[in-house]
Amino acid sequence: MWLKMFEPSGPTTCLVMKVSDMEKELRQEAGKLLEEGTVDYIIGFAPGSLKFTTTPLITEDIDEINNLVINPFINNNLAKYLPEIPGRVGIIAKGCDSRSIVSLIQDKQIARQDIVILGIPCSGLVDLKKVEKLAGKERDKIDDIVVLADKVCITAGGEKKEVPTTEVLFDHCLGCELQIPKEYDFLIQEPAAEIRDYESSSKQIQELKKMSPDQRWAFWKEQFGHCIRCYACRQVCPACFCERCFVEESQPRWVSPVSQWQDNLIFQAIRTIHVAGRCTDCGECERVCPVNIPLRSLSKEMYDLVGEMFDYKTGMDVNAPALMTAYELVEAEGLIR
Amino acid sequence: MITKKINKKDIRKLLGTWNQECSVIVPTREQGIVEMAGWDNKDISFLDWYRNTVVPPKACFLPQSEVMISFQKKENGLKIEVPQDEHKQIIFGIRPCDARAVAIIDQVFADTYDDYYYSSKRRNTLLIGLSCSNPYDSCFCTSTDVNPTESEDVDLMFMDIGDEYVIEEITSGGKALLNTSSMIKKATKADINKAKEVRAASVDKLKKKVDTKDVDRKLQSCFNDIDYWEQVSAKCISCGICTFLCPTCFCFDINDEMIKKHGARYRGWDSCSFRSYTKMPMENPREEKWRRVRQRVCHKFEFYPMNLGINACTGCGRCIRLCPVNWDITQVIAGLPGEISVHSGK
Amino acid sequence: MKQNTEEQPRIVGFLCKWCSYAGADLAGTSRKKYPSNLTVLKVPCSGRIDPLFVLKGLRLGFDGVLVSGCHPGDCHYQTGNYRARRRIVVTKKFLEYLGVPEQRVQASWVSASEGAKFAQVVEDVVENVRAVGPNNLFSDEG
Repeated sequence: MWLKMFEPSGPTTCLVMKVSDMEKELRQEAGKLLEEGTVDYIIGFAPGSLKFTTTPLITEDIDEINNLVINPFINNNLAKYLPEIPGRVGIIAKGCDSRSIVSLIQDKQIARQDIVILGIPCSGLVDLKKVEKLAGKERDKIDDIVVLADKVCITAGGEKKEVPTTEVLFDHCLGCELQIPKEYDFLIQEPAAEIRDYESSSKQIQELKKMSPDQRWAFWKEQFGHCIRCYACRQVCPACFCERCFVEESQPRWVSPVSQWQDNLIFQAIRTIHVAGRCTDCGECERVCPVNIPLRSLSKEMYDLVGEMFDYKTGMDVNAPALMTAYELVEAEGLIR
Repeated sequence: MITKKINKKDIRKLLGTWNQECSVIVPTREQGIVEMAGWDNKDISFLDWYRNTVVPPKACFLPQSEVMISFQKKENGLKIEVPQDEHKQIIFGIRPCDARAVAIIDQVFADTYDDYYYSSKRRNTLLIGLSCSNPYDSCFCTSTDVNPTESEDVDLMFMDIGDEYVIEEITSGGKALLNTSSMIKKATKADINKAKEVRAASVDKLKKKVDTKDVDRKLQSCFNDIDYWEQVSAKCISCGICTFLCPTCFCFDINDEMIKKHGARYRGWDSCSFRSYTKMPMENPREEKWRRVRQRVCHKFEFYPMNLGINACTGCGRCIRLCPVNWDITQVIAGLPGEISVHSGK
Repeated sequence: MKQNTEEQPRIVGFLCKWCSYAGADLAGTSRKKYPSNLTVLKVPCSGRIDPLFVLKGLRLGFDGVLVSGCHPGDCHYQTGNYRARRRIVVTKKFLEYLGVPEQRVQASWVSASEGAKFAQVVEDVVENVRAVGPNNLFSDEG
């Protein structure tokens, strides 16, 4: 249970997070890979420059290995970097990351033999937006977040608050389907705590489904009025590996580059459809959105859709064909006349 | 110099008076996102929660997308219209870092070259600064010559000293705003002393610091240090957050749109982080990621000083705070390799 | 693209060149009557139909979109329509979730010999789309 091991002891010390046994093991293994020349690069997480943040670490320098951390703030889906990094790569992977890696292999974007997967068990990551809401304070004003399996202690401005862990984990973590990577070369042998709340994991989707089509459209219309087309959702997504995205096509021009809700919505709708069968519900698109558009209410619905219609779970089987390249002779009956 | 003051309770009334003459823009929070938007004529709760906006105030002058001309197909040709916008507005609550940023963009759009769309909005706007005593941990304005409680880039500067705001009158336009109001009192010596204390305390709160001295020369000398740029750009994902939400980034793209006989020419934000940047004339000269990252750093800290004698980073910290991968420009500046050759002017 | 701007509702149809387009031809040569609301775009295979086409059609103001290809098993390129099927149903379902009435996006398999079926499909599509009214999805008002 690695959650217990994360006990930052204050605003300054949490930047240098406590080295847990897992971190030690990970550093050892990653160091060995670099030293022996098995890999050219290691991709992992290092402490971020701000409180309760981490940052991707992409390095060929053995001295940097000691910066590798494991804690409940290792948000990024590092699989994103794999197609662009040359040579052989050792990558630290949570369950969801490993699914993205497998999906990239299925889509032949990377070769299995070029990747060394260092699997880590994950009990869920902390959604700072939820913590901020609970604490009534912004991230940098929170002194301490101690995550235990059943509860989380948040200290802010001298006040201590204890809440069930399910209230601070990301929605996608509450619905996680793979806490321990299935595909790996090295795995840290620790169990992960089963912290789940499937209902709140897709609460907004259920609420949207109760609405009429008109209301749902109005909802998304409003949401995409906020969109600033920074493309962070696309850029952070491991499933978006196209050399050139349809939004940037100019002949023909599918979507206007001008930010207006119509085209913002079309962009996101098509992006979601294009990554159907590649999306692993890692939730990164929603986390990085600077204007808080609930993007996971799109991606997760698509994730469930392909699950229901084609009994397909992305990135679970490295030998399975990618969803959109395969077919059954009879399927999806009744939708096409 | 601080000359006037106003009780906090009177702010609503003051804004109300202004709102009769022109539109008042204040920090507004919707869905957790703070930006400058039209005031609803009653809510001043932002005075309590407001730290800084997510979308920088540049959007008031250089909106994310705006119509430059609109056209309509008629039987006898095209009917073309250029929007006229001369309405007066007051932006209340701009922070000194963002006010400096507006002054920096002014040099691009309203000084050497007069951009009709930008300057028609800019010249009709008065900026009311609000001192900042609650910086984020990503803020580093004191490292970029900005004082969080002082600004010469606004028309009036308000500073929180407890129950009251003391006011500095910077421009005549700002001064005129206070003339008619009975709520404005003269600041006493005690107020001014209190302000001094607040100022010192506020500056003290900025813990993030980076040495920006000679950074332009450092950048010049390591411009071709590809290893360094490749290393610091490795984790960048080439999204547009840092540039779109930077208060001094101003790149734009122009596009014509036509649907069902109605059309318009739009101007919208563009970003040098994008791989497709400047693809329209031919190619992006910065195909590799490290070139794009280098461009952003050099544009702020080398090219601007070279051309206009000022850093184009005001230390607002948005690009650090909102970055999906915590790419931190202060670390990149601090880590610049190489010795600065000491130029002895003596 | 020559658009039929007279008839309401306006439908855009993406027809595979081997089956559905030929089916439409047959409907014409055998003098079957069907509504003239359809603007036809010929595609080499239903597998060519990107979800983008559907949304772009709606964005341009068409009231409905019809996609049509060879029956499963009949694809000129062996598997094009099988792949298209996954994409089309996903698109259809997802657009429904977004709030696009399901009638606006319809799909059918029509072979080159099914002139009568093609005419019937078009008739049904037009009727269904008419029932949900003009496409105001992308208008700024309302």
